[in-house]
Order: sequence, then structure tokens, then C-alpha cells
Amino acid sequence: MTEKIKLFDTSKCTGCRSCQLACKQWNQLAAKQTRNTGTYQNPPDLQPNTYLVMRFQEMDDPKAGVKWFFRHHACMHCTDAACVKVCPSGALYYTDMKTVGLNRAICIACKECVTACPFDIPRYDDKTDKVYKCDMCESRIGNNMEPACAKACPTGALTWGDKDKLMKAAYKRAKDLGGDAKVYGDKFVDGTHLVYVLQEKTALYSALPTNPSVPLSIVLWKDVLKPLALLAAGGVLAGSFLHYIIHGPKTPDEDGANKMEGGE
Amino acid sequence: MKKGLIQATDWYERLVHWMLALSCLFLCLTGLAMMFHSLNSIANLMGGLTVTKYLHNFTGLLFALALLLAIKMWWQEAGVFSMPEDLEWMMVAGGYLWHVDKVPEVGKYNPGQKMFFLAVAIFGLVMVITGLIMWFPLIFPAMLVRWLFVLHALGFVVIFAFFFVHLYLGTIGSPGSAPAMFSGWVTRAWLKKQHPKWLKEMEEEGTLVVSGEENKAH
Ligand code: HEM
Ligand code: SF4
Ligand code: SF4
Repeated sequence: MTEKIKLFDTSKCTGCRSCQLACKQWNQLAAKQTRNTGTYQNPPDLQPNTYLVMRFQEMDDPKAGVKWFFRHHACMHCTDAACVKVCPSGALYYTDMKTVGLNRAICIACKECVTACPFDIPRYDDKTDKVYKCDMCESRIGNNMEPACAKACPTGALTWGDKDKLMKAAYKRAKDLGGDAKVYGDKFVDGTHLVYVLQEKTALYSALPTNPSVPLSIVLWKDVLKPLALLAAGGVLAGSFLHYIIHGPKTPDEDGANKMEGGE
Repeated sequence: MKKGLIQATDWYERLVHWMLALSCLFLCLTGLAMMFHSLNSIANLMGGLTVTKYLHNFTGLLFALALLLAIKMWWQEAGVFSMPEDLEWMMVAGGYLWHVDKVPEVGKYNPGQKMFFLAVAIFGLVMVITGLIMWFPLIFPAMLVRWLFVLHALGFVVIFAFFFVHLYLGTIGSPGSAPAMFSGWVTRAWLKKQHPKWLKEMEEEGTLVVSGEENKAH
């Protein structure tokens, strides 16, 4: 299957939240009562039952007056995904389309993915003792449909398609927009499968890391210590064997004085 | 029981030892099942990976208890080095690696065993502290928990490797040792070879317990 990505263009988004609602609908996620905290941001963050949230930000701009920032916030579907690296059960996995799926039935609720993800995406629910996140509508994209969110988007801010084609479009769009506009996603974790065209500087968007990477600790843990555990134990076993056949065990001396005193 | 055997350990010592050893072994096994996808099948024997995870966590509590008891019990004897004989022993690696005419005499625990004890005590505590926090990762900062996973894995590398060293030296590597941790009774010949100074000390202090003889100590 050809590699596909989901492209989100902040400049075309009107903040209508169709994508957020479509996600709830397709994944049959109930809504939760929330409190108004004086912003349009609702719900306030990702939750076990909210895989996708539209981030709303108001920015004061001396020239343009108030500016609105809208960002489609969900799993980035990393090519080198920290969550897949740490998941002990295989519940998190790469799909044929290179997106990151989640087989909740075998999740053991160790929550390692929650601490590992550089984008702070997976959410743990203590009622079900499982972890939740966007799976890019695996049941849809596996059947040649686009993700529910992209299907619902009325403005073309969200598109789903072949990686090559959409990346080209993304770079062209960033160039056309000019100013601070840039492409976000292809330069780290070996490329994400949710890619943004950001109209403003990355640092201005809330909850968006400017330079995310698979944490060093996870690379050390999984790529160095894990093989080392087997290597060290294997080395000890081999060493013991060599010791036994070359140097020999440390056997009690069998002189006459000891014979009387029992023993084996 | 054969006459002339010497009591090297009492029941409490052996109980704590086996609590520590078996819980540690089980933690290694369940840990391996979680560490390697190819070993996930070990977990199937225990009712699945979720069950295994909780078995690991609760066995961790038992291990913590055993470790504390072990440290309390062995600290005096195995936690401190007595110079200069321990240093001399180390210079010749206790005669374990090359031929040594006369191995310096050491007490109940030789420096190798002391280092082993210290490694188990230190890394055991590391495993307990990191493990307890990793059990409830969401109430701690993610940065901290990420590094604790590294420490837990590092501790595993050490403990898993040491486990086999210990197994070898406690069995075929020095014949006659294993009974010390099963029945507690060892032969005089073994004691003389392995812990000559301890044997002398016990003889001098009259604390030697020999099967078939009147107990002089009590
Ligand atoms: C001899 C001591 C121990 C050994 C050898 C050991 C070994 C391991 C290993 C190999 C792993 C898998 C790590 C990986 O995936 O790379 C692990 C995970 C884990 N261990 Fe231990 N461990 C020990 C003690 C403990 C203790 C005392 C606790 C706390 C009660 C604990 C709690 C955990 C937790 C929470 C995990 C993560 C998986 C999970 O959520 O259950 N461990 N351990
Ligand atoms: S964004 Fe986080 S949860 Fe999504 S694939 Fe990357 S590491 Fe995994
Ligand atoms: S919580 Fe579940 S999905 Fe996350 S790493 Fe653990 S087993 Fe995998």
C-alpha cells in the first residue's frame, strides 16, 4: 500500500470543529460535561474519549488586531514512534500504511507509551484500565476510505492522500503563504503522518513541541540495554562454562584428615 | 544425618535467602516476558501479559521485603570489607581465575561474595525504587519516569547476569556449597576450603555446631 499522510493547513481552517465531531461519531466516543473557562477551547485537552481536539488560541497582534490560531491536535503517527518502541505488549504497532494502530484488547495498561510520546498523545482511562489515541481510522483507511475527520472537513484544511503528492502540495502552500509559514512534521521522528502547514512560528502554537524527537532515554533503554541484558547473561554463561572446563571448580581437598568427617 | 557435618546457616537465613532468590527469579522471568515481544509467550503460561504485569508488580513488593530483611541480616557480615586480608584475596581473585599456591584466608564471606552482596543490595534497592514509581507513572513527571525505565533496565542487566554467576558458583563451580542453602549443613572439608578463617573463628569461639556432637555453644 502506498504511504499516505493527513495534511492539515492552518491557513484554511475556520475552526468549525467538524473534524472533532466526526472523530467522536466514527469512533463512537461519548462527550463529557466540561466547564467554560473563558475560551472556545472545548474540551480543554485530549482525553481517553477525545482522540482529536481542535486547539483554539487568541493572539493579540498590534497590526492585525486579534488573530485566531486553530490547530488539529491528534496523534502524529510517527514513522519512528516512541510509543511503539516502548509498548511491551505489541498493542501499539505500525500498520501497512505506516500509521500507528492500537489494539486495545492486548494493552496491559503499563502506561509506558503515555510517558514516552514526545507529543503527549496517548491517554489512560482508569475505568477501563486501557490507553486511547487516534488510530487514523484504521478501519476506514484500510478500506480505501479517508479518515472520518478529513472526510468531514468542509474547507479543504484537512486532506488525506499519497505522501509524495501531499508533501509537495504542503511545501508549495507554505511558499505561497510566505512570511513565517512552514511545513511541520517531515523533519523529525523520521517523518510524521499528520503533517501541518503552520502559518505562524511553531513556538506560538500551544502544546506543540518545536523540535520533538524519540527521547534519548528510550533509545538507551530499548536499543542499548535491552540487547545488553541478553549479551551479559550469555557472556556469563559462556564464561562459567569456560571456567569450569579450563580452571575447574573449587573442590574441597580430599586429604585423610577430612575423610572421617563425613561429606560428599 | 551424617556425623560430623557443620551447621553453616540457620533456618531464618535460608528462608530469607530463598524468598529473595525466588522472588528475584520470578521478577526476571516476568520482566523478560514484558521486555521482549518474542518472549511474550512466557506470559501465556501465567494467564496473559496483563496478569503477568500485575504478578511482576506484586512480587516486587515481596522482593522488597526480602531485600530489606537480607540487608538487615547480612550487612554486618557481608557489607563491610575487612582489610588487609580482603584486599589480598582480591589481588589473587580468590584463586578462582588462575593458580594460586596459598589463597589468603577470609571469614564467613569472601570479598567476591561481599561484592555480590553489595551489588544485589544496591541494584535491588534501585529496582524497588524505580519499580514502585514506574507502577504509577502518571503521578510523576514524564521526564523522570523515562529515566527510571532506563535505570530499571540497567539494574536488570546487572542482576540477570549476576544471577548466573551466583548460580554457577553456588552449584557446580564450588561443589559442596549448595547444601548450605538447602539443609544448612556442610562438610568440614568444604568449610576449610571455602571459609578457613570462619571455621577457625567458630572453633575458637566454641560456636561450631557439629552434627552428632553435643552442642557446646548453648
Ligand atoms: C529483581 C528485581 C527486578 C527485576 C529483575 C525486574 C525486571 C524487570 C524487567 C526486565 C522489566 C521489563 C522492562 C522492559 O520492558 O525493558 C520490568 C518492568 C517493570 N518492573 Fe521490574 N524488576 C524487578 C523489580 C521490580 C520491583 C521491585 C517493582 C515494583 C514493585 C517492579 C516494577 C516494574 C514495573 C512497574 C515495570 C514496567 C512494566 C509494568 O508496568 O509492570 N520491578 N522489570
Ligand atoms: S505522536 Fe505519540 S502516540 Fe502518536 S505515533 Fe507518535 S509517539 Fe505514538
Ligand atoms: S499502556 Fe498499553 S498501549 Fe501503552 S505501552 Fe502499555 S501496553 Fe502498550
